[in-house]
This record gives sequence, C-alpha cells and structure tokens, in this order.
Amino acid sequence: MFLKFSLRSMFYGAGGGNDIQWCFSQVKGAVDDDVAEADIISTVEFNHSGELLATGDKGGRVVIFQQEQENKIQSHSRGEYNVYSTFQSHEPEFDYLKSLEIEEKINKIRWLPQKNAAQFLLSTNDKTIKLWKISERDKRPEGYNLKEEDGRYRDPTTVTTLRVPVFRPMDLMVEASPRRIFANAHTYHINSISINSDYETYLSADDLRINLWHLEITDRSFNIVDIKPANMEELTEVITAAEFHPNSCNTFVYSSSKGTIRLCDMRASALCDRHSKLFEEPEDPSNRSFFSEIISSISDVKFSHSGRYMMTRDYLSVKIWDLNMENRPVETYQVHEYLRSKLCSLYENDCIFDKFECCWNGSDSVVMTGSYNNFFRMFDRNTKRDITLEASRENNKPRTVLKPRKVCASGKRKKDEISVDSLDFNKKILHTAWHPKENIIAVATTNNLYIFQDKVN
Amino acid sequence: MEVQKEAQRIMTLSVWKMYHSRMQRGGLRLHRSLQLSLVMRSARELYLSAKVDAHESEPPLPPALSPDPRLHPPREAHAAAEAAAPDGEQPFPEPMDTQEAPRAEETPARCAPRPAKVSRKRRSSSLSDSGDAGLVPSKKARLEEAAAEEGLSSELRDRLQPPPAQAEGAFPNLARVLQRRFSGLLNCTPAAPPTAPPACEAKPACRPADSMLNVLVRAVVAF
Repeated sequence: MFLKFSLRSMFYGAGGGNDIQWCFSQVKGAVDDDVAEADIISTVEFNHSGELLATGDKGGRVVIFQQEQENKIQSHSRGEYNVYSTFQSHEPEFDYLKSLEIEEKINKIRWLPQKNAAQFLLSTNDKTIKLWKISERDKRPEGYNLKEEDGRYRDPTTVTTLRVPVFRPMDLMVEASPRRIFANAHTYHINSISINSDYETYLSADDLRINLWHLEITDRSFNIVDIKPANMEELTEVITAAEFHPNSCNTFVYSSSKGTIRLCDMRASALCDRHSKLFEEPEDPSNRSFFSEIISSISDVKFSHSGRYMMTRDYLSVKIWDLNMENRPVETYQVHEYLRSKLCSLYENDCIFDKFECCWNGSDSVVMTGSYNNFFRMFDRNTKRDITLEASRENNKPRTVLKPRKVCASGKRKKDEISVDSLDFNKKILHTAWHPKENIIAVATTNNLYIFQDKVN
Repeated sequence: MEVQKEAQRIMTLSVWKMYHSRMQRGGLRLHRSLQLSLVMRSARELYLSAKVDAHESEPPLPPALSPDPRLHPPREAHAAAEAAAPDGEQPFPEPMDTQEAPRAEETPARCAPRPAKVSRKRRSSSLSDSGDAGLVPSKKARLEEAAAEEGLSSELRDRLQPPPAQAEGAFPNLARVLQRRFSGLLNCTPAAPPTAPPACEAKPACRPADSMLNVLVRAVVAF
C-alpha cells in the first residue's frame, strides 16, 4: 500500500501536458529513408528490471540493448542504452506440405524473470517459439597442460611439466544460444506468447487455438482454447491476442476480431472453450458504418501491473476494463478519432488492418499507444489529460523537450497543427514499450528505435 | 446508383486484396481473409439493397445478357486453368504472379478490365498445359447459362467467381468440389424468369450469392 502510494506521487501527472516533459534520448537504426524490409522492427520489449531492451525485426533478428549503469546521484540523465547482443533468432522456412513460406519475422518477444546470471527470453515467429539464453563471458581459462592456446592437443612427449589452467579476464562476450525450440504446435499464425506468473509455463496463441507449454518440455503442449468451428464456413471470429494474468497463474484472457475479450480460468476445465467472463461493449449505433466490424477488432490486450485492469486497443481507441465489470469498459480514450471519416481510404491503402499495440507505465497511471505520422499518444488516467508526441530525427539533441503535436480534424488549421490529409500513413508507430520502473519509453518507427526519457532536473 | 457503384468498387477491391494476400510471404492470413470477406459481405448487402431501391424507383434495366458469354469464357477459363494446375506446380503460378505484380500498382478503379485482359492471356497458354481442362469448361458453360438465367448483374458474378478457384491454388480437387457446389447451388434455385418483380429478383440473387460467399470463405480458409 505504502509503495503504491509513493510510486503514485512520484509519477503524478506523468504524460499530461505540463506535468511531465518528455525528452529525446537516443535513436537506433539506419538514417536513410530507404528502408530495407528486413530491418522493419516488429516487436519491442523491456525486461523485468528495465535494464535490457529487446527488439525483433522482420528479418528474424533480435537486438538487445543494455542500459549503462551510471552513477545516478550525479548524472543528469539515466543511463544510455547500447547494443548488448545481436543474434539471428529465426530463419525463413518452407512448409513443403502446403507449399508455403514461413516468415522469419519476429512477432513477439517476452522476457523471463532473471533467476541466475544469464538472461532468458522467448521469441516467436508465425510457427515456432524459441527460448534463448543470453549469457556473458568475461574470463576464460588459460594455460592448459595438454592443449595449446588454440585448442590443439600437444604431443604428449613434449609435456614435461605440470601446470593448472587459471581464469584470466577477457573482453566481454555476450553469447546467445537457443535452449529450447517449441515447434509444430500451430496450424495458424502465432500472434501472442505470454509467460505465466508461475514462471514455469507459458501460452502461445494463433488465430484459432491457444496452447499451454512448459518451458522445459518441447515435444508436447496442451491445447487450452480451440475456437475452430467444425465447419470452417461458419467461421466468424479469430483470436487476436492473449495474455496471462500477472498474479493469478490460472487466469488468462484472449481477445477476438469481434471486439470481445474472454477471461478463462484453467481450474474450471482442461479445455477453456467456455469463458469465465466475457467483456463486450454494445456497439454505439451512431458509429455504425461500413467498416465498423473490422475496426472493432482488438489488436492488443495488456493487463495492468496490478492485475485489476486490462487494456485493449482497437483501430481507433484504447479501452480500459475493470476485471470486475464485463458489460463496458471503465475508460475509453480516442487515439485518432479524425480517421473515422477516412476509413474507406484507409481500407484502400491497407492501413485499416494495422495492428497497434499499447502499454502501461510502471504505476498503471498512464497508457501509451502509437498512431500515424510517427505520432504516439499518452493518456493519463488520473488527470484525464492526453498528449501527442512525434518520434522524429528533427528533435535530435539529447534532453530536447518534445513539443506536443496536434492534428486538425477539420476547419481552420491553426499554426503548428497538422491537417489530417497531410499525415503520412506510411510512418506508423505500432510498437511501444514503457520501462517497468522509470519514465523511459521505447518507441519503434518503421526501422528506427527511439528512446525518450522524462526531464530530470 | 452512386451507392451501387461504390459498393461494387469496394467488392472489386476486396477481391483483388484477397487474391493479392495469397501472394504474400507466409501464405494466406486467416484474420485478414476474414476481414476482407466481412467487407465483401457488407458491400454485397449494400449493393443489393441499393439495387432493390433502384429497381423500385426506376423501370427495370434491360439485362445485359449478350456481353456475359463473351466476358465469361475468358474469366471462367482462367479460373479453370488455375484450378486445374497440378499439385505443387509452384513455378507455374509464379509467371502469373509476375504478371500480376506490375499491375498491383494500378489503382483499384481499374481492377475491372484487368482480370479480363489477364485471363485472356493465360487461357491459351494454360489450357494446353493442363490435362484436366476438358473436365471443367463444360461445368463452366452450365454456370454461365445459370447465371444468365438468374439475371444477376454480370459484374457482380465476375467479381465473386474467380476468387474461389484462385484462392485454392495447388489443390485441384478442392477446386473441382467448389465448382461442383457452385453449379449445383445455382441449378438448384429455380430459374427465376427475367421479368420477375424486383422483390423476387432480389431473393434468388441473395441465396446463391450467400452460398458463394460461404464457399469463398471456405476457400480462403482452406489453408
């Protein structure tokens, strides 16, 4: 209780207009506008301490950044994030039976809590999940009795003395090795993975099924949700995201393309086809349009750190749900309502299918999500204020405070406002992450990763 | 009329997107296909309701039957040729893809003439290759007659028919099942006389289109 109160006071007003000032900190990635498709960032995730930041890209690569440990008393800003490890997680594969190529794009990365010196993360593409161990090596044994320095065995006749190898320091080497490969369990494309609070099991969800795995066992998994109809012609909805509850190891939720969220309790039955709770908001008839079915599809669902709330993202809004109330969300925030009248054009250029993610800050007081034109939005749940910021190389100097942006929906455009028609829909921010403890955020544009911090006085 | 045109444009666009999504790496995506089929259904409903309104307010339009047989053979043959492509013949679809890809840049509004042109090109090359071609065209001929009898808009039919065959790709058996179901469904429904009152005309149009959509959904989720 006390901890929560002090955190709240520390972060009071975070995200609101004048209360917190976001500053540019760093940008990672290529500068040129010609984006190589393999470099497109597809997922961003902080680890549990916030010291490590992982990104996955369309080329199947994972890049991990580590925060420098600085003397916090005298530094003017928090440590910078520098590349810690880079490895190829997934390779393109070919399904010979279906004559289909399996993309190597990393859909999700989830960190395991740290148990020993090594770090572990799960990364997944459309079909296969891998558990990676990232470990440091900063010393090596030298002075073997029977081996040369390069590893070749010495001629035994030349060995005349006995010496014992000793560990000597070496340049830090970070190694990533795949420890488990969880394959062949999904017919459809994996959209989510989520580690259970028991730290032993995790779930993986595709369009129609959710499987439960044990981190140690790769050759089998349990199917816990199956919404595939007997007759595929009757298919009306698919699973879009799934997540375990942060505290209750028996509870998870999954969202659907129809805008509903189902909470399931694994204690109720082995197959959780029947939900314990169904969260659904009745459709506002005044908002009904030609495309209202597809924009109600939920693209992301995230539990709050407390476990009391969950947040969903659909195409135009972010909704906060209280787990105790199923019939409507407790809060709704419009991300870019000015796009509602442009849905037809957005359908033509495929933007209407973009899957935006959302995230909570450490104290669950502010939520963040991305938009177009490299804009991202933050909503302060306490002050009810929101802010729009831009991830752009123009605000390049560290500690430059970001200027709030505003989109002019219609009518006279004020100075510094941007009209809807001049928004660049190719510049979209789909993936954002918030440091679990501090006001540091990672925002991914198409191929760049921006890190922003709040102004530290 | 505007509503009809817009609905038609969106239907065409959706069909094109459905076809295009098949070409993507990673294969057909179930969620995307479902969303596209939802939009197609809404567009169809809009189109049909607008058509009913139009017919109620105006004298019935003369059914454009004569262009249909001309338009149909190349398109159906194209669909048939694709359907008849043997299993796993991956290189065969690829030349078609490269033909399609440059056209991908064109605006959707020009979708309408495009399939007809492409299908005429492919017809000569592909029919000679596939041994099964003899089986399918006769069914297609029946389809055309049924279509003409029903008095459905030619464009509506054209938009909706190619996808199922295209969508299944390397499974000729599935394609044949789809064709059979198609023609079966159309022949089952009583051939409404062209001079039927607008209300009746709307109904038979709805039923086969419904099944068409179901088959369409089934085809796209076949993977």
